[in-house]
Amino acid sequence: MRNINKQLKIRFFLLVFFLGLSVASAFAQVKITGTVTDASNQSTIPGVSISVKGTNTGTMTDIDGKYTIDVDAKATLVFSFIGFTTQEIPVQGKTIIDVNLASTAQQLEQLIVTGYSSQKKVDVTGAISVVEMKKIASASLSSGNVMQALQGNVPGLYVTKSGNPSGASDQILIRGVNTLGDTHPLYIIDGVPTTRPEVFAAINPGSIESVQVLKDASACSIYGSRAANGVIIVTTKTSAKNNGKVNLTFNTNLSVLSEKKERYTMMSSLDRGKVLWQACVNDHTDPTAAYGEIYAYTWNGDYNNPILNTVAVQPFVGGNTNYPAGNTDWQDVSYKKGYVTNSDLTLTAGNDNAFVMANFGYLKNTGMLVYTNYDRINGKLNSNFKMFDGKLKFGVNSQFSSSNETGATPDVGSAPTPGLAISLAPTIPLYGIDGTYGGPIGGGYSDRNNPVLMQDKNQWDNSHNSTIFGNAYGEWKILKNLVFRSSIGMDYNAFKQKNIEQKINNGFVTRSTNSLALSTSDYLSIAFTNTLNYNLKTGEHNFDILAGTESIKTSVENVTSTAYDFAVETEQYFVLGAASGQRTTTGFNTGSSLLSQFGKIGYSYSDLLLASVTLRRDGSSRFGSDTRYGIFPSATVGVRLNNLSFMKEMKEINNLKVRAGYGEVGNQSIGDLAQFGLYEARYGATLNDYSPGFFEQYYNIGTAYDINGVNTGTLPSGFVSIQAPNASLKWESTKEINLGLDFGLLSNKIVGSFDYFMRTTDNILIKPPIASAIGEGQQKWLNGATKENKGWELSLAYQDETKGGLTYAVSTNFGAFHDKITKLPEEVQAGYPGLPGNTILGHSQFEVFGYQSAGIFQTPAEVAAWPTQVGAAPGRIKYVDLNGDGVVNSLDQDWIGTTLPKLEYGVRINLGYKNFDFSAFGSGVTGRKGIDAYIYYNNFVESRENAGPGTLNAWTAANPSSDIPSATITDNNNEKRTSDYLLRNNSYFKLRNLQIGYNLPVAIIKKAGMSQLRVYFQGENLFWITPKGYIGADPERTDINRIPVPTSYSFGLSASF
Amino acid sequence: MKYISKILVFVIAGVLITSCGKDFLNYQPQGVVTQEQVSTSANVDKLVIAAYAGITNDEMIGPITSMWVYGSVRSDDAYKGGGGVDDVGDVNKYEQYYLTTPDQGGSDWMAPRTWTNFYKAISRANLALAAANTLDVAQFPSKAQTQAELRFLRGHSYFMLKRLFNKVPFIDETMTQDQILKTSNDLTNDALWNKIADDFKFALDNLPEKQAQVGRANKFAAAAYLAKVRLYQAYEQDVNHNVTAINPARLQEVVDLTGQVLGHYGLQPDYGENFLDGFDNGVESIFAAQFSLNDGTEAGRASYATGLNSPTGTPLYGCCDFHKASQNMVNAFKTDANGLPMFDTFNNSDMVQPADFQTNGVDPRLDHTVGVPGHPFKYRPGSINGNSMVYQSSWARVPGVYGFFSNMKEQQAPDCACYFKKGPFMGTSKNVDFLRYSDVLLQRAEALIQLNRQAEALPLINQIRARAKASTGRTKLLDGTSPSNYRIEEYKDGVNINWTKANAWKALMFERRLEFGMEGDRYFDLVRWGIAAETLNGYLAVEKTKRDFLTYAHFTKGRDEYYPIPQREITFTKGLYVQNAGY
Repeated sequence: MRNINKQLKIRFFLLVFFLGLSVASAFAQVKITGTVTDASNQSTIPGVSISVKGTNTGTMTDIDGKYTIDVDAKATLVFSFIGFTTQEIPVQGKTIIDVNLASTAQQLEQLIVTGYSSQKKVDVTGAISVVEMKKIASASLSSGNVMQALQGNVPGLYVTKSGNPSGASDQILIRGVNTLGDTHPLYIIDGVPTTRPEVFAAINPGSIESVQVLKDASACSIYGSRAANGVIIVTTKTSAKNNGKVNLTFNTNLSVLSEKKERYTMMSSLDRGKVLWQACVNDHTDPTAAYGEIYAYTWNGDYNNPILNTVAVQPFVGGNTNYPAGNTDWQDVSYKKGYVTNSDLTLTAGNDNAFVMANFGYLKNTGMLVYTNYDRINGKLNSNFKMFDGKLKFGVNSQFSSSNETGATPDVGSAPTPGLAISLAPTIPLYGIDGTYGGPIGGGYSDRNNPVLMQDKNQWDNSHNSTIFGNAYGEWKILKNLVFRSSIGMDYNAFKQKNIEQKINNGFVTRSTNSLALSTSDYLSIAFTNTLNYNLKTGEHNFDILAGTESIKTSVENVTSTAYDFAVETEQYFVLGAASGQRTTTGFNTGSSLLSQFGKIGYSYSDLLLASVTLRRDGSSRFGSDTRYGIFPSATVGVRLNNLSFMKEMKEINNLKVRAGYGEVGNQSIGDLAQFGLYEARYGATLNDYSPGFFEQYYNIGTAYDINGVNTGTLPSGFVSIQAPNASLKWESTKEINLGLDFGLLSNKIVGSFDYFMRTTDNILIKPPIASAIGEGQQKWLNGATKENKGWELSLAYQDETKGGLTYAVSTNFGAFHDKITKLPEEVQAGYPGLPGNTILGHSQFEVFGYQSAGIFQTPAEVAAWPTQVGAAPGRIKYVDLNGDGVVNSLDQDWIGTTLPKLEYGVRINLGYKNFDFSAFGSGVTGRKGIDAYIYYNNFVESRENAGPGTLNAWTAANPSSDIPSATITDNNNEKRTSDYLLRNNSYFKLRNLQIGYNLPVAIIKKAGMSQLRVYFQGENLFWITPKGYIGADPERTDINRIPVPTSYSFGLSASF
Repeated sequence: MKYISKILVFVIAGVLITSCGKDFLNYQPQGVVTQEQVSTSANVDKLVIAAYAGITNDEMIGPITSMWVYGSVRSDDAYKGGGGVDDVGDVNKYEQYYLTTPDQGGSDWMAPRTWTNFYKAISRANLALAAANTLDVAQFPSKAQTQAELRFLRGHSYFMLKRLFNKVPFIDETMTQDQILKTSNDLTNDALWNKIADDFKFALDNLPEKQAQVGRANKFAAAAYLAKVRLYQAYEQDVNHNVTAINPARLQEVVDLTGQVLGHYGLQPDYGENFLDGFDNGVESIFAAQFSLNDGTEAGRASYATGLNSPTGTPLYGCCDFHKASQNMVNAFKTDANGLPMFDTFNNSDMVQPADFQTNGVDPRLDHTVGVPGHPFKYRPGSINGNSMVYQSSWARVPGVYGFFSNMKEQQAPDCACYFKKGPFMGTSKNVDFLRYSDVLLQRAEALIQLNRQAEALPLINQIRARAKASTGRTKLLDGTSPSNYRIEEYKDGVNINWTKANAWKALMFERRLEFGMEGDRYFDLVRWGIAAETLNGYLAVEKTKRDFLTYAHFTKGRDEYYPIPQREITFTKGLYVQNAGY
């Protein structure tokens, strides 16, 4: 008791002492106001960053280019803005400081958030890329996803797109792949961490202040756990000083989407008949017996010298007169033009002591695949205010979004409609005479449904996401240079999925019972972060010291209910309670927590030497008590060579900085319960509940059993092992060395940056497959593997202006990485491709293992001379006997390609003349060799699915030069085996964005109360170049069961009031 | 100044760290339990239930209850069927004996998955056994019986694995993961059979004659299963799968063990009841996989292993017309003027046209086994929902390749309470019998004939034939007439046959084929008898003239008797497993 009193007394004393100190120091402050203008045309510049030299404090100009700042009377103000030369102006008793900024390519003075604090870009020593939001704002409006707009713009950031109406990205990688598990980067949005990319996707570009990509471990390690795959920091607007006047910005964009350029060319009904005939006679199968219900053939009947006299499509599908045979282009009927409208409105108002930003957005995508659509409403409200002369600051950053998506659906047998739109037989008509949908009837058809029917019948399906994200924070400026900040952040998502399965009567593929499955998941993550920032300056030495703690608790709760037999099939009737049949419910709860302490010391000496040391200690509930803490240190050093005295003379060199960093980061992206040996009461699950798939729906893996032999009712049930324990499971860690160079030459007309990195990831967390004899549910998580990754990034930009007033800029970026697995426990290697003696060691998990082909057998003599190959015959693909044992078998496989690119690059050209602006942006990848999905269709005959026209030109004795193997249905040569025949160089260069904009003259728009009005036209995904040998349509379309990424044309306007 | 701020950092940091609490990082798993929690006397029987469920947890592409792929399609009974030869192409490789490498060309469908699924079932039995072994008899009086049930279940899985893969590692409940990974499959043929027999012997010694719950194995099931193991074991094989000797001591065991079962079970009055809802766990069923519907699971714990096999061209069924009776199978049901099978001449002419089934004598079991155009399907001469249930040629999916004849035993009528259609496929709650009394009778007959006691075998075989003769009540057309000319008689020594050992042996082999037609035993019978190569190559020589797709099919002796040990299993154990001959 006495001790507590004593402590309280000390605390009170300290508090009074500090308060007194800070009040005293406040007397030396002066209020500065002013306007920043562009030296070239005297127009005001909004968003100019004004910082007090040598500190972290600063502000920005408002929409009218005006600013207000409280500073020490002896301070020096630093004015900086992208594309303008930074100016430093000592206050020296002035209260109004107006500045004329000269335009350059300089970006060095910008403030960069570098982990619980910020610093100037010129002082940054890690590998950090800053995204120029202005350049990608319109591209992010047309897709509704900022991430898609980042594609190709940031060196070292690899993004692949999907054509889903939600605009979600398939793959987001920073500096390649360092682990064997989860590769998602960590997002820090206004200081709140999340690993959900959709939170970032739902931010309107109008509310974003800056986006930064932290790439190397020395930059990321302050974020510790979950930062191993890089960090994307998003800061939304939190300040504008326009004395309470409301500024309003409005962006809107209308886009038309089409997938026509991305389609696969497939055969007509008649051509398909010809190919099937050829395939049958090649296989010595009677074509009339096999396909007589679809095609009428007359031929000479001689398998050795076959001649097709006539081929005709049978008039009706399966002889059913309601369904006259068609010549359906399934892609044409399954897709239509999609329209995207996306608008957002941002209001900001603020003065010295209070700020508010409100942002609202609405996105609607009508979908290209029929009956698909997506809409999203989202908003942001940021506000903060100061008390006690700015010593206390409180604020709230909040973000909400609510979205609905009806996407591509599987058919009765689980085949997704985008694939069906390619493969369904063309003889099936879209509709029968009575208007019902056509489907497979009779022999020769696959057990697949009409994709338009399936989309129609699933149009009430809905995935609904509601997200609330944000934080409430307080900052206490204990001393002028000592700030304590506390933040409580929340990331909440409610996911509700409604899957209505109506009855289907479509040829012989039917569904006789309808059902509704309703799945709801609540995700909640609470982050409590406390930091203390201290700045110390003695002479030329400047120290920034940070200490902090963070605790994060995450939980997920899921309930899925299914009910059968609905008497009426209307959207309104599909409510769980309305079902008359059986019902089932399942669900799970899981969660995890993280507890961290961290510190950072930044040091600079006289704008010459920069250094930092950070240390983070993370504890994770996913590991056992002995191994749950990981310690992740890092250190960086940088020298601004241009500030060395002898270099100051070299006027051509405006900036030259070398950087080096070493850092470690941790990864714990495993299941919440990975360390435990677990059993569960799995009453009646199918494998589909754990790993969804086609046959998995029919694979009972439960523990209930009808031991009483009564065939129905509640069954006795037991337990099953689901995971073996590993109490010594521990952190995966990545160690990285980063070397960098930043430069600005010729009055900063040329600016660039180069980074080289080497990283090693140890103790990679894997749950490898095991020998079946070990039994069910006995897999466990291990710290098994090691990966190495090396690479580099380069960005280079040139900017100038002609005497005639034409501004031009070319900026490029390049990113390359090469990753390989260097260690993998022997018993685990069988879970990966490879062979004894030629394992995956030394290769990436994204490399492809398979056979090498050597053209096509021409003659029986050639077959006889070749090593024994089961299925070899003239017209068949030759596979190489790599090990020379005289037999072509599974031992003859090798590493034949990689699906990740060796190099990714982007080029942007910006032109400006008077009020017009023009930009072109393209990006591409090289060194990628993946499966060209179209080859499956164009080069091979599928007995029940359509094929591409390449099969018409297949090898025959009379057409020996074809590289397409002889048509066959039996495929005794197993030609769909993974081989370099299927693998093609699918590198590409794409013109991603072409844009022309016009700023209406200020004199005109002023009358409407506007300060800016820009209109623009934009085209995206306009054309691409692919290497020879690649035959598919869009090289970014690697999965035919996904909606293709569209070509789009947009019109947009952006107005400020 | 420096000093003060240090104190302040310390104070604030201290407050914050302690405020988080000690238990913050101790997350308690929800909705799951630990091994200690499940291994109690109260829970052991739940583990036993899970072990029973384990032997029925199969999938269409890795079946463990139905051997239609491995025992029927791979034999002369049936073709793969489906949409064409490439539809589920792995089975086409099995049917045409093209599987020459243990990696199946990269696919793991069928045999490799079946391997895995049996080991899942074995691990469930082992888990429960390990728990049962630790219990005190005083607290758990039925310990021995529980252990016996579990060893029965384990023995069942090993028996099935042994028939498919020949060399399999024998894992018991005492082994750790490390020990399992060091356990090879290199036991001799006889030693492995003995290990399996040991499980059934323990079951035989410790199981009661009657179980309160009909799904549980009892003493007679153990005796019958042990007899089956010993029968297989009696035909001794060398490493190249040649039958080198037939062990009379083992045959005698078969006679003794089947003797224990005689009289405790019987034959269903009508053969078809074995394949019809409403007769589960009847007088003939000795041990069966119990399936259920409307049982609180989404799609039922139903039998989906044969889900691909229903007729296609009728709205009554769905997809996909797999498992088609061969012409040879249909012809085998022909009988001569005496009503006896035509051992050597049955395949000299084909029964195809409706008239062929009237001009020839026909064993009634045809209309229980094969869907024949114009014949009632599944005992339903009328219509369901306006759609005729009389089998039509249009119900076949690709008749030009696989003909018109379908399977029937694994089908149920679409209006049956036991029938559930999920997506394009169907499942049923009809049990799948692993052991029927008719099998016990024919096992006994087989052993007796091999022991030169064929006279004792004659009444056993005739018992089967008499029941077949009586099984014509359900197969009639609407007008009460039979779709086939049923003509079947018992064997009468000296009257219609000379019951020599040679003739008795032919009769036994033929009777097994007809009685278990398309049920998936045929192939294993042929391999057991050591006649797979000659029988199947002989079959193919004729069948390929009727079915083009078999043109290049050829059975390679010394290899195709067994499936290869899946390559991935060899790799996972660092090459520890020995591969079967020929691969």
